[in-house]
Amino acid sequence: MSTKPNYGWLQGRTVKKGGHASSNSHTRSTTPQIQSTSSTIFGGGIKDPSGRTSEYFSMDDQCPVCKSDRYLNPKLRLLVSTCYHKMCESCIDRLFTLGPAPCPIPNCKVVLRKLAFSPQTFEDLGVEKEVAVRRRIAKEFNKRAEDFDDLRSYNDYLEEVENIAFNLINGIDVEATETRIKAYKAANAALTSLNLQREEAEALALKEQEELERREREARAAQLAQQEQQERDERLREEQELINKLETSQKDAHKIVAKSRSAAAKRSSARAASSNANSGLLGMAFGADYAKLLKTRTNKVNNNVPDEPHVPFQDNYYAYDDLFRLLPGGYNDIFSDAVRKDREGIMRAGGYRVEEAWQRALLSAVAGLDAMPLSGLETESILPANDGDVVMNSV
Amino acid sequence: MTDIPNRAKEQKVGEGTYAVVYRGREVSTGRRVAIKKIKVGQFKDGLDMSAIREVKYLRELKHPNVIELLDVFSSKTNLNLVLEFLDSDLEMIIKDRSLVFLPADIKSWIAMTFRGLEFCHRNFILHRDLKPNNLLIASDGQLKIADFGLARDFADPGYKMTCQVITRWYRPPELLFGSRYYSSAVDIWSVGCILAELMLRTPYLAGESDMDQLKTIFRALGTPTEQEWPGHTKLPDYVPVGQFPKTPLRDLFTAASADTLSLLSKCLLYEPRKRISAKEALHHPYFIAIPHPSHPSKLPKCSTQMAPRPLEEVDGNVDMASTGPGVKAAGPNKSKLKRKITSPMEESRARSIARKLDFTKQANSP
Repeated sequence: MSTKPNYGWLQGRTVKKGGHASSNSHTRSTTPQIQSTSSTIFGGGIKDPSGRTSEYFSMDDQCPVCKSDRYLNPKLRLLVSTCYHKMCESCIDRLFTLGPAPCPIPNCKVVLRKLAFSPQTFEDLGVEKEVAVRRRIAKEFNKRAEDFDDLRSYNDYLEEVENIAFNLINGIDVEATETRIKAYKAANAALTSLNLQREEAEALALKEQEELERREREARAAQLAQQEQQERDERLREEQELINKLETSQKDAHKIVAKSRSAAAKRSSARAASSNANSGLLGMAFGADYAKLLKTRTNKVNNNVPDEPHVPFQDNYYAYDDLFRLLPGGYNDIFSDAVRKDREGIMRAGGYRVEEAWQRALLSAVAGLDAMPLSGLETESILPANDGDVVMNSV
Repeated sequence: MTDIPNRAKEQKVGEGTYAVVYRGREVSTGRRVAIKKIKVGQFKDGLDMSAIREVKYLRELKHPNVIELLDVFSSKTNLNLVLEFLDSDLEMIIKDRSLVFLPADIKSWIAMTFRGLEFCHRNFILHRDLKPNNLLIASDGQLKIADFGLARDFADPGYKMTCQVITRWYRPPELLFGSRYYSSAVDIWSVGCILAELMLRTPYLAGESDMDQLKTIFRALGTPTEQEWPGHTKLPDYVPVGQFPKTPLRDLFTAASADTLSLLSKCLLYEPRKRISAKEALHHPYFIAIPHPSHPSKLPKCSTQMAPRPLEEVDGNVDMASTGPGVKAAGPNKSKLKRKITSPMEESRARSIARKLDFTKQANSP
């Protein structure tokens, strides 16, 4: 590699504070711009939503390996290894140019490669590690609530994911955890990639919506500018007209002025009204508006009554359910004889069910069995639900 | 049963072929009601059939998701039905483009529809005219099945029923083929169409004529084979309308979950006997899956009222808290509030009713 470490400080040479100043031109000429090579070598790191990596930078930075600091080397850049130890670029070059080598930090025997260093984003390396681990886990474990039958299994899944993340972050049972991840990966490959696609689609939709909103804003701004221009032109013309009139006509000057003023006022109010109508139209025209509505709707939903899970029946259905049971073989009654034979098959094709007729007959027979007999008008209001076979008070 | 001075007509809300609907309120409680005045004089042979049906079946049904018939009375030659007042219907909500439906909202509406329908079927009543227009929405968001003008009870074996029921777009193929023997499955098909309409925001199977309706259905769901629907070629009005290939529902309902499509396809099965029943539908995984159905109070509502309020209602003694679109369930303090503002004479009446209600509640609760 062409990058030559800056050993100036080792050789007792004083490096002035403004390191890149004229006196330091020697080091500079021998040291190619770090920035130029670094972007190609050191990828990774934590990226913000716009895709940029913001690097942590402090005046107190010191390389734990060579003890070089920002005072000695203003271009000091610390990078983070896969075992979450930082060291400066020159140390990385020195140690790993000749191939993989163990980490120089005492008690850390992890074998590192030059390419596996990444920029530091957070001051605390623990956070750095946690973010990286969580990012990796989130990529693999991207199941959603709707992929589960019920809330409980989803919660269990989330807990499992949290356990795995915790283990990796704190270095507990790393090997066992890795095998767990591998097993999960193999089992859920299809779903994972599906969810990945879903996420991409959602991101795309969001982008489109933003684009739409931006375009709408631009259109509105253009419209406004146009309106203003029109207004200016009109006013100029009016003034000219007024001057002409005052010059040529014989009428009272005050009257002419008043007249033109009132006309101008009328026009401006008409313009305001039309522009209002226009902007309304413009707003309703596009899907951006719909998206906005959706957003307000979801926001509103969050701070309201919670949605309860579905309950099939909210009334006393089962009170009537166990009063009787249809015989599985059906009944051999003469009324439904023809229907059951169904020579032309039209009963079946039309969906007629003789079972429903039987059910009705049986229910009519048994539903009133446990009803108390009515005795006088006083008790009528006490027994509203039990006065018939078909009326079912369900409240 | 008739106690005419107890109600005050306020405003005409709508007019149908055989009835005029007024908005009114019960003087004693201030509760808003709809009064359906049925024009009797017009019909030589007495009352219109649908009025009889409506009274007959609504009197027997009492369920949170079925419109409540409060009273029936006659004045002069007219028959008047006093119904719960409900301020919007599902059709208005579907057509209101400023409203956005979440999947949970659709789930909630369909669950309420199935609950109401299941109650009707449990009581052996076929509704036979389910459509968004007939699903009314109360001010607290509860959906209620209304318009029992075409309802009838399940036929006894061997008795014919008419096949000219259900609005065309929601009519199942067996009725279009003229079947005279059918069952609760016809209502399920309608609910399937409504579910699809809620997702599409436009009628799903909109045929221009009965013939075209069949074609529209087959174009959407594929022409049924003898295997899919045994015996359908023998139905009275069967005519072949051409072969159409089956297209998966997923192609049209791209954003729907698998559970939704599973329920939809079970509601739109050709063979009526295999179609899901209302009771089975309520146990379908669609309803149990996340997201939970929206709480009724959170469902989207029409911002525009059906008609402007008359002036006297604003300064009258009607409580303002009970019906405004922004106000959620008024609950028990509703009556308390009312007692405060009503005049002393009405107060005594209201109190007696309240006491009566308490009494029944006590009797029921243990």
